[in-house]
Amino acid sequence: METYIIKRDGKKELFTIDKIKNAIAKAFLAVGAFATEETLGSILSHLRVHNGVTVEEIQNQVEVALMAEGYYQVAKAFILYRQGHTEDRETQQRLDFMMNYVQASNAAEGSKFDANANVEHKNIATLIGELPKQGFIRLNRRLLTERIKTMYGKELSDRYMNLLNQHFIYKNDETNLANYCASITMYPWLIGGTKSIGGNATPPHNLKSFCGGFINMVFMVSSMLSGACATPEFLMYMNYFIEQEFGEDYYKRADEVVDLSLKRRTIDKVITDCFQQVVYSLNQPSGARNFQSVFWNISYYDRYYFQSLFDNFRFPNGEAPHWESLDWLQRRFMNWFNEERTRCVLTFPVETMALLAENGDIKDKEYGDFTAEMYAKGHSFFTYVSDNADSLSSCCRLRNAITDNSFSYTLGAGGISTGSKSVLTINLNRAIQYAVRNNIPYQAYIEDVVDLMHKVQLAYNENLKNLQEKGMLPLFDAGYINIGRQYLTIGVNGLVEAAEFLGYEIKDTPEYAHFVQELLGIIEKKNKEYRTRDVMFNCEMIPAENVGVKHAKWDREDGYVVPRDCYNSYFYIVEDKSLNVLDRFRLHGAKYIEHLTGGSALHCNLEEHLSQEQYRQLLRVAAVEGCNYFTFNIPNTVCNDCGHIDKRYLKECPHCHSKNVDYLTRVIGYMKRVSNFSEARQKEAAQRYYAEKQKAPTC
Amino acid sequence: MTLALNLSGCPCHCPGCHSQHLWEDIGEPLTEELLGGLSERYKGLITCVCFMGGDAAPEEVQHWAEYVKELRIKTAWYSGRPATPDTFHLSRAVDYVKFGPYIEELGGLKSEKTNQRLYKRVGEEWEDITSVFWKKSL
Repeated sequence: METYIIKRDGKKELFTIDKIKNAIAKAFLAVGAFATEETLGSILSHLRVHNGVTVEEIQNQVEVALMAEGYYQVAKAFILYRQGHTEDRETQQRLDFMMNYVQASNAAEGSKFDANANVEHKNIATLIGELPKQGFIRLNRRLLTERIKTMYGKELSDRYMNLLNQHFIYKNDETNLANYCASITMYPWLIGGTKSIGGNATPPHNLKSFCGGFINMVFMVSSMLSGACATPEFLMYMNYFIEQEFGEDYYKRADEVVDLSLKRRTIDKVITDCFQQVVYSLNQPSGARNFQSVFWNISYYDRYYFQSLFDNFRFPNGEAPHWESLDWLQRRFMNWFNEERTRCVLTFPVETMALLAENGDIKDKEYGDFTAEMYAKGHSFFTYVSDNADSLSSCCRLRNAITDNSFSYTLGAGGISTGSKSVLTINLNRAIQYAVRNNIPYQAYIEDVVDLMHKVQLAYNENLKNLQEKGMLPLFDAGYINIGRQYLTIGVNGLVEAAEFLGYEIKDTPEYAHFVQELLGIIEKKNKEYRTRDVMFNCEMIPAENVGVKHAKWDREDGYVVPRDCYNSYFYIVEDKSLNVLDRFRLHGAKYIEHLTGGSALHCNLEEHLSQEQYRQLLRVAAVEGCNYFTFNIPNTVCNDCGHIDKRYLKECPHCHSKNVDYLTRVIGYMKRVSNFSEARQKEAAQRYYAEKQKAPTC
Repeated sequence: MTLALNLSGCPCHCPGCHSQHLWEDIGEPLTEELLGGLSERYKGLITCVCFMGGDAAPEEVQHWAEYVKELRIKTAWYSGRPATPDTFHLSRAVDYVKFGPYIEELGGLKSEKTNQRLYKRVGEEWEDITSVFWKKSL
């Protein structure tokens, strides 16, 4: 009977004794000895080769056999020879990875470890960024498990690695060493420049140095974060410098020529040139981030939010910010950005409009109308609606209670500082199916896993504190980020798929609502239990940029029920055509998001733009339903031939009539070309149901 | 924000109709329970209910329009018959009405060549507002 062995690449090969003989003979030669046929025979007599044995196993047996026969020096040579080959294979793997990356259809597809790379094109710079990722993952795991062992013992550390390797949990952003994301206060920069975070810039003192300095500052801050950098005060500070330059009533004189150069620029032109400088610079690939651009977010406020956040705020000259001029500047920026996006694919800033709701409508009617107007003009941005100006969302991940509306002369406005230090995600679909299979009540099982996740996050937090104590985190020390207002985030993924597995209909029913509340309630309970004076936890439906695709793939491979190729971050099934727009708002309404203390943005996909009146009504719907965070997503058309960008979802370029068009859409929080998504994500985008506009009058 | 209801059993049978499945008698019967349930479910969210079709029984459609109107929700009726508000007696409860069969060469409401007309009730008069569908670009 023939015996087959399994090679390292998993392929079967007919077993022959000659290869082993050769390897042993070489090991003898390496120590200056020679193996006779007799010696080889006695060594080989120790081996037990059976069908399906792996190469590694045989080599292990050879090591033991050499030692059993007393050839210790030869055994050592053999072990070193194996190690040499292992290292060579690792280099070969890297080479293979490199060649695959070079040949991949786009950067997301080529990236093996973290496909959310916000990279438009692949090149040598992005490749350099990809290569050390595996090393970072190992390093981060080692750092974390060592800490877990010290804090909670080896058993918990092993269980963590087990759950991680079996894809019950997922540690987000393991390919980076920095803490995740932050909404920063720029006050320390305003009064001290960038010296305190390792730069050499003095504080900004006019509009020009504000714009230039702001760009540098955001690049610096972003290089010390693995995720987003939100600057909720960007326009407010800019407004201050414009006022300093052109007077408090500048917005009433926007057409006035203020430039003595041949350009004869007006105030308005000077301002929009500033917008252009900042926005185009920050959308550039960044050297410090492996050629990714920074991930930059800003906020707009209605009158009430502005008052709540900045009532006590004072600029270094003692002045308070002015609502009237800021209101104008916010509108001007949004309109400018919307128009600029027809000229160029501009991903950043990701914008959030913060609106206060009252009695089922937007309290600041002017801003409700303005928000609807901007959506109707085709602008793509997020809206955050809250019954209380006591919370703010500055990016897709973060929603924080504003417990601190104070103002300090060293740190600025307290309310805007927030962030997530680290995200650890539970794969609910797998966890629940596993529990059911093993006759464990799934609630108990989830609670158990979530409890472990909190301990892991606390261990991460200790490591971060350690780095801070050694002066490695200047953003915290300099006050850009308040560590006490940073969350440890428990992410959830696969919630809808888990509910489907349990037999729930995914629509607004008391049963499904109860399931969601119970499940997320378990996490919230643990978040409260583990909260201390220094540590806060929140819970979010992670945008699942690539985790959603990975989870679906891994779960399917392991025989779990997987109804689609990507687990999304919505409470409804993306491709379900029976749900209308109102149903979707309801499924992201108060009942469902009650226990989510982090982000859970409803991405309302539409095929066509609505009218201002219709968007205005949807803002009311959001207020009534308590859907606090949402955006409208209408694919924009980009012509691959003439470069024309159209805000509509078209099959043909209206400019040159080419059918070679691509789409810009928001898959994971920010606008990107569909062709730059990974393949699985492209599929998901294609399956999305963009609700058709009601073929009925606007009324 | 309009909730649109497709009424089946359409007798018009326009060539090139985009909803040929509605020619048949399919779906569930329109009852007070169904309409009331939907209105309750979307209360405060929708501002209008649109009946799409129903040319087999226009009086019934108007009856349901009256029912909806009582709930202080606007009503619309998309009819495929070649009529105008002057030639067809419409209930006071109908706020918007579309008349005209679908003719392939002329296109639907979005086509500027369309024969179909959308009217809005303004007091005692009807205003032709078909052009709202012809918005070019943003």
